Amino acid sequence: MNDALLPLFVALPLGMAALGVVLPGRLMRPLLVLTPLLTAAGGVALLVEHATGRPVIATQVGAFVPGIAIPLVSDTLAALMLAVTGLTAAVCVGFAVLSGEARLRFFPTLALMLVAGVNGALLTGDLFNLFVFIEVMLLPSYALIAMTGTWRRLGIGRLFVVINLLTSTILLIGVGLVYGVAGSVNIGVLADVDSDDPRFVLAVSVVLLALCVKAGVVPLHGWLPRAYPATSGSVMALFSALHTKVAIYAIFRIHQVVLDGAPQWTWLAFVLVLVTMVVGAYGSLGERMIRRLLSWQMVAGVGYILLGLAIGSRLGLASGLFYMAHHILVMGALLLGSAAIEHTYRSHQFVRLSGLMRREPLLATIMALALLSLVGFPPSSGFFAKVGIVRAAADLEGAERVIVLAVVVVASLGTLLAVLKLWRGVFWGPPLEDLPSGERGPHLVAPETRAPLRMVVPSGVLLGASLLVFLVPGPVWDLTVRAADGLLDSSAYAAEVTSP
Amino acid sequence: MTFLPITVAVLVAGGVYLVCQAGLVRIIFGITLLSHGANLVLLAAGVSAWRTEPLNIPGSTDVADPLPMAFVLTAIVITLAVTLLMLALAVIGGDDDTYRMPDTGEDHHA
Repeated sequence: MNDALLPLFVALPLGMAALGVVLPGRLMRPLLVLTPLLTAAGGVALLVEHATGRPVIATQVGAFVPGIAIPLVSDTLAALMLAVTGLTAAVCVGFAVLSGEARLRFFPTLALMLVAGVNGALLTGDLFNLFVFIEVMLLPSYALIAMTGTWRRLGIGRLFVVINLLTSTILLIGVGLVYGVAGSVNIGVLADVDSDDPRFVLAVSVVLLALCVKAGVVPLHGWLPRAYPATSGSVMALFSALHTKVAIYAIFRIHQVVLDGAPQWTWLAFVLVLVTMVVGAYGSLGERMIRRLLSWQMVAGVGYILLGLAIGSRLGLASGLFYMAHHILVMGALLLGSAAIEHTYRSHQFVRLSGLMRREPLLATIMALALLSLVGFPPSSGFFAKVGIVRAAADLEGAERVIVLAVVVVASLGTLLAVLKLWRGVFWGPPLEDLPSGERGPHLVAPETRAPLRMVVPSGVLLGASLLVFLVPGPVWDLTVRAADGLLDSSAYAAEVTSP
Repeated sequence: MTFLPITVAVLVAGGVYLVCQAGLVRIIFGITLLSHGANLVLLAAGVSAWRTEPLNIPGSTDVADPLPMAFVLTAIVITLAVTLLMLALAVIGGDDDTYRMPDTGEDHHA
């Protein structure tokens, strides 16, 4: 692949977004699904290129000298993220098209701008451009959160905007401090800066703090389970696949490449991720709605992914990245399944749903497999993701090993309890017709009402991808190991970013 | 050069105070102050040490560093856009985050 094609990952969705303003919706909706699929295909092409040819490719946009130009870099990790997030985004907007949400004015434009920002943030080799692309990703999200979902979305939209703008300001201050200390914000240059200099570590840690808020790391997670469930199911699935995962990707990149793994702060990383796992897993138990329960599991998932980073070994990083790919797919499947339930039964509250196991056999099967995957049972990607994490944790020494393994077990139990609660609330119980409808009962639905097949399919596609990863885990595992190698030895990355 | 950090400190302190208030308009003012503080931090990272205009001085080391200025310009544009969006939210939302319940029968548990 030609280096000069890298900007297309941003330019194509942005151009399509502009087209969405003028084209009629009927023509725009196929393009809305096609564009993320194309960038995902581009991600796969990059993966092939990295596996067979050059491990890192970079381009200085506009052929300015390095340091002033906007550098876009792709390595195995970035390409893997492009492929997975592109596929999931395509399925999520596909659901929005099938459910009629994409008919909202400007929905295609906003969703494509979101994709452009995500692709830019994944490819950029420069901290300031990371800030810019995160803003490009957030601005359409503010509008998306305000136009879909329940009446609470406006109040929640304010929470979302304020939290994210505040965090972006902190990120910007961090970038300014990094520039002040190191004289550059190019990740390739920063990789060579002495990471024992306390001023430098402090400046980078301000950037990491902001990214931790955006990723939803406990104790900075509170906004996530409040904000996300107030939007519609498909938009929440889109956010879940893109927003927090971009922040986690940036944490992986900066922690490994810029701070060289920061071994002196490993204890702090362990405390944060272990608390995140437990709080996320057990926070679910207080919720009485499908997507609010799942939003806590998103927090728990962030903990598992970053546990791989805290362990820091080759195996640890690879299993953290594997877990991220798994989590994006399975969370997408669960949220889209929940969205299908909501569109059909007009609620995702447990009190308003019952007995869906017999009523919706196909949807129940998909949700059951995805929920098992969330806990880490076979047959799906969750099994190998958790095996990887546990194997990496088993390589630790002494008390660390015991504590980490114990917390993984305790947190998994919490997730299992949450999954059972969801299953009992929605899929078990008497048929809907036997419950009195009204204030605390199901909405009135006709006896023959079923979730239309077209709304079940998107969830099934993502679950299918997860099952495929279970059947042939080897290729994905190899990819994550190669991505982890790229993080551990960043010299090739640094050389490419800084070369004209 | 103590006056730049003191300005940043005052802006950030005022911004944090306002962001902790309940009304969205006050929060917007707070965010504006905070972003001014962030912009000054960016400027402090590059400009204050080199004070000469970048005009006709080949090879001069006194020339102001243009990169932080570019950063600040970008950041100002972004903050402007988001501030406008938040002001719009403050207008269309009215007081629905504090008092009003919708006519649809939804409650806080919906």
